[in-house]
Amino acid sequence: MPLWWPLLVASLLFAIGVYAVLVRRNAVLVLMGVELMLNAVNINLVAFDAHFRDALHGGQTFALFIIVIAAAEIGLALAIVLMVFRTHGHIDVDRLRSLADRDEVEEPIEVSPVMSR
Amino acid sequence: MIWLLALLVALPFACAAISLLVGHSSDAATKGISVGGSALALALACVVAFPRLGDAVPIGRVFASTSASGPALELSLYVDQLSAVMLLLAHTVAFLVQVYSLGYLADDPRYPSYAALVSVFTGSMALVVVADDLWVLLVGWELMGACSYFLIAHHWELEEARAGAVKAFLMTRTADLGLLFAIIVLGVRFDSYRISTIMSAISGGGFARDELWLPALLLSAAVIGKSAQFPLHTWLPDAMPGPTPISALIHAATMVAAGVFLVARAYPLFLSAPGALNVLAIVAAGTMFLGALYALFTHDLKRVLAWSTVSQLAYMFGALAVGAYAAGVLHLLAHGAFKALLFLAAGSVVHAVGSTSMSAMGGLRDKLPDTFLTMTLGLGALAGVVPLVGFFSKDAVIGATLDAATGGRLVWPWVAWLLFSTMVLTAVLTLAYSLRAWLLVFFGNPSPSVAAGLVHESPWSMRVPLYLLTVPTALGGLAVAYPEMILGPGTEDHLLHPWLAVTMSALVGLTAAVVLWLWRRHAGDPWRALVIPHPPVDQVYDVGLVRPVRRLALLVRAGDRDVVDAYADGAGASARGLGWVLRRAQNGNVQGYLMVVVLGAAALAVAAGLMA
Repeated sequence: MPLWWPLLVASLLFAIGVYAVLVRRNAVLVLMGVELMLNAVNINLVAFDAHFRDALHGGQTFALFIIVIAAAEIGLALAIVLMVFRTHGHIDVDRLRSLADRDEVEEPIEVSPVMSR
Repeated sequence: MIWLLALLVALPFACAAISLLVGHSSDAATKGISVGGSALALALACVVAFPRLGDAVPIGRVFASTSASGPALELSLYVDQLSAVMLLLAHTVAFLVQVYSLGYLADDPRYPSYAALVSVFTGSMALVVVADDLWVLLVGWELMGACSYFLIAHHWELEEARAGAVKAFLMTRTADLGLLFAIIVLGVRFDSYRISTIMSAISGGGFARDELWLPALLLSAAVIGKSAQFPLHTWLPDAMPGPTPISALIHAATMVAAGVFLVARAYPLFLSAPGALNVLAIVAAGTMFLGALYALFTHDLKRVLAWSTVSQLAYMFGALAVGAYAAGVLHLLAHGAFKALLFLAAGSVVHAVGSTSMSAMGGLRDKLPDTFLTMTLGLGALAGVVPLVGFFSKDAVIGATLDAATGGRLVWPWVAWLLFSTMVLTAVLTLAYSLRAWLLVFFGNPSPSVAAGLVHESPWSMRVPLYLLTVPTALGGLAVAYPEMILGPGTEDHLLHPWLAVTMSALVGLTAAVVLWLWRRHAGDPWRALVIPHPPVDQVYDVGLVRPVRRLALLVRAGDRDVVDAYADGAGASARGLGWVLRRAQNGNVQGYLMVVVLGAAALAVAAGLMA
């Protein structure tokens, strides 16, 4: 199998991931974009590992590490998304502008129905 | 001896520092330090001064000196007869004022700073009288101005106290420029700033008449401001909102006396420049008459005394202007004694009545027997009643002026005659206003509060200084009879003028009869409350100085705000505008930030590819 096949798949996957991170407004979908990018990298690692016939299979080992870290990361990130939903009532990243540089607090933080209950 | 003198000069300043340090923690300690310090200073002054009276040789010493180019500045002290009597006067009055203030300011929360300032005031006066270097003298002179500012504004919650303090400070400071320029002129001319050197050089002769007119005139300007002579006389009556003991200190022993002292100290200079003496004589003639006139018509007891100070200081300047050195200095001493007595007694009256207006007084003879007795002596001395000190010293002054008018060569004859006639007229007016104040305060119908028995004699700490001051007031005439015992040989020996004294006494007695008759006839105020239009000097200052300065201040403020501030504001605004552009990027949209990151990475990759 030529090397460029998996590399093509990986680059397409990475591009889809970047697109999702940059464009999607739903925070969960943004996270899915991040996962896509991570897994595109994994494909790259495995493909090069096979191509170079690495005796220690460093590429495959590294891919396993990334899968573990990605699992931890998505757990943390989903917890954050959950908290954002509880405080703001939505998970729309376009409307999460609390970090903007502004003179004074323009809009009070919206209290979600969940929290106010 | 000379180290005692240095200690004497330093002591009041040390007392002031200590009482400011401990002042607000211990009231008793402050009082002890103030009174004890001034008593110690008085004792030291006696030790230093008494051996220098009479025909003693002056002592002096240079403690430190600069070695830069030009005339050396020296930290030097010098005591002759004149300095000695001035030291005694200043420290005696200061001690009595400190004792008196124990009672007068017993409940005052600002007593510690007050006592400290009185100490500094006394120390500054001592520095002025013993300084042998003109710059050291200037330091003491300016310190006195600053202290008088603070002390007049002691009740700074009162608008008029603040205004009076600022006025006193500004007017005397303006006049002090004369002293500053005179120092520079003398230093350039004589290549020394040491007073004794300069004066002995002038006494040594070799100067044409009026060759030194410039420094003499400049010094005249300084003393006219300091001693409140026309046209710079208006600050002294306006300084009356200050505490009464301070008025006693300013009027008797320190501030205004320093002006007369400076003329006496620089007397050889003035003798060599009779032009300045003519100016002084004319100023004195106008001032003494004006002062007496306003004392005659004012209704405020302290203002009567303030105007009388202006008038009596003019007597001293008149005496000095016609060459009667001993008469002028002795009148200064006599005036110091009886004016301190008068102000302290007036303070006792004010303390009892609670007002300085003479319409709130009346019939106090029985209520305040001690004050009545002492103030009678003081007013008698002021008016020149026969056995009291004022009679002798004023007689000496007027007699010397008559001599100068008939045969003197120092000032022009018409000036001397003008001075003589004004002095006689003013003596009559002095008796009239003294008698009027005496009658209004102690006789006549008691005011309601007095009649209600609310008035009581002041505490002993205020009465003892009064009785102590009656001693020089009653017996000071002996000093006039034997001036060489105090001022040393070479002072003119005939200060007593029997015929003139008899004439003046007759005149004064006649005036007293007229005033008493008027008082009985009008049953109350001897004359209707006339309002004499004041010469418009204050208005002239207002139009000529105050308003232009205010305009200039507005202009400067506008320049500061619209020109200088504009640059600072412009810098701030441009930084803020630049920041506004950068802030557009910080909109809080995380995806926007990421887009920039991705585009940047892509651009870097493309650039790397192109360069490879």
